[in-house]
Amino acid sequence: MDRKELEAQVINMVATSYKQEASNLSMETLFKEDLGGASVQMVALVAEIENELDVELMLADASGCAAIGDLVNLIEEEM
Amino acid sequence: MGVLDEIYKKAKANPRKVAFPEATNEKMMQAAYETGKEGYIIPVLVGNGSEIREAARERGYEESVFEIVDISEEGYKNKLIEKYVALPQTILKEKALNRRMQNPLYYAMVMQAVEEADVTFAGIDNTTGDVLLAGQMIIGLKEGISTVSSIGLCDIPGFEGSEGTLLAVGDSAVCTNPDAKQLADIAISACDTVKALLDWEPRCAMVCYSTLGSGQGELIDKVVQALEIAKEQRPDLAIDGEFQFDAAISPAVAKKKVKRESKVAGRANIVIWPDLNVGNVGVKLIQQFGHADAYGPMLQGFNKVVCDCSRGAPVSEIKGNIVISAVRAAGRS
Repeated sequence: MDRKELEAQVINMVATSYKQEASNLSMETLFKEDLGGASVQMVALVAEIENELDVELMLADASGCAAIGDLVNLIEEEM
Repeated sequence: MGVLDEIYKKAKANPRKVAFPEATNEKMMQAAYETGKEGYIIPVLVGNGSEIREAARERGYEESVFEIVDISEEGYKNKLIEKYVALPQTILKEKALNRRMQNPLYYAMVMQAVEEADVTFAGIDNTTGDVLLAGQMIIGLKEGISTVSSIGLCDIPGFEGSEGTLLAVGDSAVCTNPDAKQLADIAISACDTVKALLDWEPRCAMVCYSTLGSGQGELIDKVVQALEIAKEQRPDLAIDGEFQFDAAISPAVAKKKVKRESKVAGRANIVIWPDLNVGNVGVKLIQQFGHADAYGPMLQGFNKVVCDCSRGAPVSEIKGNIVISAVRAAGRS
């Protein structure tokens, strides 16, 4: 999977977990400031990444990502 | 009869299945064995079957007291996975679940999710973070609840409250700086927890440094907003405020400060702190100056009862918390 495909897939997963329109999200979207999510949404996102990409992330590492782009970087490292 | 005696009596009348994913831990196995042998629970030990049997034999425990679940046994595991993925609103799919279930903590919670156990009791080898993550992933949060939180039950000698010497307080342990929605969730969950555990009619006060507008500021605004959310979400519950602590629990003070009808003012049996700073300091004041015993923290907000015990806890405390969790689970059903 190339970077662009991965970005698109992660955006769709963030949209599902945070109940947002995928078209409003980008690599620069910030989890705390823009999405204002609670930890429960990050848990759902980590589970979705595990289901779809077969990558098991630590919740603490995923929660440490400021923007969606940082999360994609983290997933790439683990793949 | 003390509160714990009553809880123990309730547990014995209706023993529940408690899953122990840290079964070979010496303190945990002792607590599981003793509560099982004394008839309060049915202990289900989850892990490597032969290691568990070996440890039990070495420690001189009768194996017949336990149910032992070997996580390497594929047949039962597959049955659990099949049942679990058929449940509505589960977030892990088969492959990811299968991998997670190599960890007994996740295995035990899957058993609980599909009703093969009533409670998962852990936290002596796993961290609080591990237990909370597994709980959120496998058991999930209750509909409409956005945060895990906790309450403690204080038994305060000389206190003449609406439940005698008892007062439930929350959150003193888990949710650090709740926003208004989370604070509302803590109050709602606390009402459900005390009802399940103690059969109380919950009267829940949300406290801060103001009583009905006597003070102003953003710290109070959050509590007022939380109260509005809680009342809208659960109009069936008696949740009221904003009150100062004395107006919440003292009828004499409430009479002076609360000039309107309230089921809660002066008679609260649950007090919800505005944040963890207040909660932690508050419960320690109650313990130090009030010479109170504090039971808990009892985790709440999950779809089912999930327990995290302190890693430094002695066996006697672990046993008390096991029995409390079993009674909470019985109270839900």
